[in-house]
Amino acid sequence: MISLVKVKIDGKVVEVEPGTTVLAAAEKAGVEIPRLCVVPGLYEGSSCRLCLVKNPAGRLFPSCNYRVYRDEEFLASTPDLWEMRRVNFELLLKFHRIECWACERKSSCPLVELSKELLVDGIPVCSECPLPPSECLLLKGELCLGMITQSGCNAECLVSGGECWGCRGPITREDILERAFARYRELGFDVKDVISKVEIYWNSAPGFATVKKVAEGVASRG
Amino acid sequence: MSWTLLDRCCDKCMHSPENPCPDYIECRLSGPLCHDDERCRELRRRRLEELRYGERGAKIKVPVTSCALAAGADAVYRAVKDAVEKMDFEATITISGCYGLDFIDPWVELAAKEMPTAIYASVKPGDIPRILEEYFIKRDVSGAFALKERMGTASGEDKVPLLSELSFWAKQYRWVSRNCGVVNPESLEEYVASGGYGGLSRALKIGPEKVIDEIQRSGLKGRGGAGFPTGLKWKFTRQQAATPKYVIANAHEGDPSVFVNRLLAESDPFRIIEGLTIAGYAIGANKGYVFVGAEKPLMAERLRKAVEEAKRYGFLGRNILASGFDFGVEVVLSAGAYVSGEETAIIAAIEGKRAWPRQRPPYPSERGLWGKPTVINNVETLAHAATIMAEGAEKFAAVGTEKTKGTKMFCVTGAVKRVGVYEVPIGTSIRVLVEELAGGAPESVRIKAVHVGDPAGGCIPVNLLDLPLDDEVLQGAGATIGSGGVVVISDKNCIVDVAKFYLSFALAESCGECIPCRVGLRVMYGVLDKITKGEGAEEDLQVLKQVAEVVKSTSLCALGGTAPNPVLSTLRHFMDEYLAHVSEKRCPASVCSALRARAG
Repeated sequence: MISLVKVKIDGKVVEVEPGTTVLAAAEKAGVEIPRLCVVPGLYEGSSCRLCLVKNPAGRLFPSCNYRVYRDEEFLASTPDLWEMRRVNFELLLKFHRIECWACERKSSCPLVELSKELLVDGIPVCSECPLPPSECLLLKGELCLGMITQSGCNAECLVSGGECWGCRGPITREDILERAFARYRELGFDVKDVISKVEIYWNSAPGFATVKKVAEGVASRG
Repeated sequence: MSWTLLDRCCDKCMHSPENPCPDYIECRLSGPLCHDDERCRELRRRRLEELRYGERGAKIKVPVTSCALAAGADAVYRAVKDAVEKMDFEATITISGCYGLDFIDPWVELAAKEMPTAIYASVKPGDIPRILEEYFIKRDVSGAFALKERMGTASGEDKVPLLSELSFWAKQYRWVSRNCGVVNPESLEEYVASGGYGGLSRALKIGPEKVIDEIQRSGLKGRGGAGFPTGLKWKFTRQQAATPKYVIANAHEGDPSVFVNRLLAESDPFRIIEGLTIAGYAIGANKGYVFVGAEKPLMAERLRKAVEEAKRYGFLGRNILASGFDFGVEVVLSAGAYVSGEETAIIAAIEGKRAWPRQRPPYPSERGLWGKPTVINNVETLAHAATIMAEGAEKFAAVGTEKTKGTKMFCVTGAVKRVGVYEVPIGTSIRVLVEELAGGAPESVRIKAVHVGDPAGGCIPVNLLDLPLDDEVLQGAGATIGSGGVVVISDKNCIVDVAKFYLSFALAESCGECIPCRVGLRVMYGVLDKITKGEGAEEDLQVLKQVAEVVKSTSLCALGGTAPNPVLSTLRHFMDEYLAHVSEKRCPASVCSALRARAG
């Protein structure tokens, strides 16, 4: 009989076998810790740095591979931890080629889930669209604005059979816009039509200038 | 070959590596111990004198280390050889390590009986015949840079200063670097003659617990940057039940402007091997590794030769000095990336894996090489340990600060007159190191800041130069001693550009394993690049600071954990210079070319 150790996470106490990871203990305690890279038993290299927790002294540990061998206490949800996670997640997204309209992962994508949890902008409505890439409305000639619109609405309009009208405001990252407008053109849409459709909502939205600038750039490429 | 100090003096001496004598080392210098014979004593006396003045009463020493070679020491060595042949004059020519005084490279040191030993600085191959003639034939030392002693036997003695009186020598406390430049780094005999292996001999007699005790009492802390108490590390590892255990000497000095470890290993490699052996004995390991960067071939070569020599004379191998302790050392070359000097990356590299770090805990003292308890010490730390065992903990602890004892070798480069490596007590002020030892800034410039600790450290502004070189204090000012790199920044350098340089180094060397270091450093670099191109805004500084702080606190290893320090410390001490770049679009030092035009 192995004697168990007590782990206190965000005030909740659970008893686990010595050698359990903090992440597993937190799951048992019902405390949610975000993470991206860990696959228990396969990869525990703590690369994503999102699952960091801290002890009462303020020292940080990656919960995915820090194992407890004695009674210990951890904090997993303090504002500073969430802020660090947000910054690191934003850094990760910065070099991610966001092209949700062409991606099979869509709603099963952990990046999309985390971006909602961490309130990080920059993921288009396509990530929430119920249609698979092969049935994209754009392929049918319908001018859907999902590619250049901020997600977060659970793609209400698309779920009810219509196209996206861009009511949540524009994506502002230029590389995403570049790819999106290039795709509009590829599928035979006129970039000017796209702009005139969004003007209704976005005329005073911050970032509309960026959208117009990128659209013009793509259009001028002939 | 004539009799050397390491050979048996007569048939009564029974020592051999296969049948070792526990008093072998003591017997070399003050022997013979097991029998009394005036001839044997005379043999030793004569040999010690030969080592000093050469077998024919004249000795020429040329430094052969990376820094001396870079300054042209190989041509000087050849010139010395030619000159001695042509002059039909008998002298022993030997190589030596480096004093750490890089501004006098390449130098030669001449010694003869009844003559003061003289150092000639910045010599050219063409000067050699004249110098040799003046010293050995005319017995005139007036052209020397410094003398080691005054004897009143040579002409011109009073015109030349004594080395020990020169400020850059007098203000040093040469404890671990005592042999650097003094002995031939490829001669075990010279090392033993200088007191080497006395530490190991003593350690083997007092037992491993007392060795750890002595190291703990000395207060020695790691000299590689992290500053963890060495005795404690050894104790933890010794206490582990798992066997076998390992020791690793970290000779992987990757910092861009630091060559402390290289100088030590190229000038006095046996001290490092001795320290490694002592560490192995203390923790109960039988196998040690020296991990050295392949981009430092001479350093690797010297360490390898030292291991071979030590093996040959029974300082490595089975039953060392009849103590029953077996120890072997292997020199392992790294592929040379900066991050492979991180301790967990070293372990991965020796195991044959990709040299990237892993999360600690578990610490190597618990689960290290091959999953076994392992001690990893910087080579300077090990050399200190060997010296402490020979000289005693009290002597070591006599200098330093309350919390950090002893000395540290610092490498001073940048805007100073005397670039070099200087060993000073911990707690010496930055000002003494930079102004009195390194000679301060050249005439045309003024010192603006001193960057202490290389890529892991921070910039200390000139008004804080009286701060002591002590991590307790420096960390409060945003810097750290680190590996001992001190780069003096003048008013001709742009502080944003300096921060960008250090960041570009860390960015290039990041292994890419964790997000904050891989992406965060890139984002930070992008912001600094924008600022130096005149496209920065004040909001960018906020982003810079925020990302820097997250990278610092959440990175996996010390590379990412310290890489933002140059940025954070310059933001803290030189905000006005950043603001000049972003708000006034002006580079005060006129370095950033995009801004210089608009400076008006």
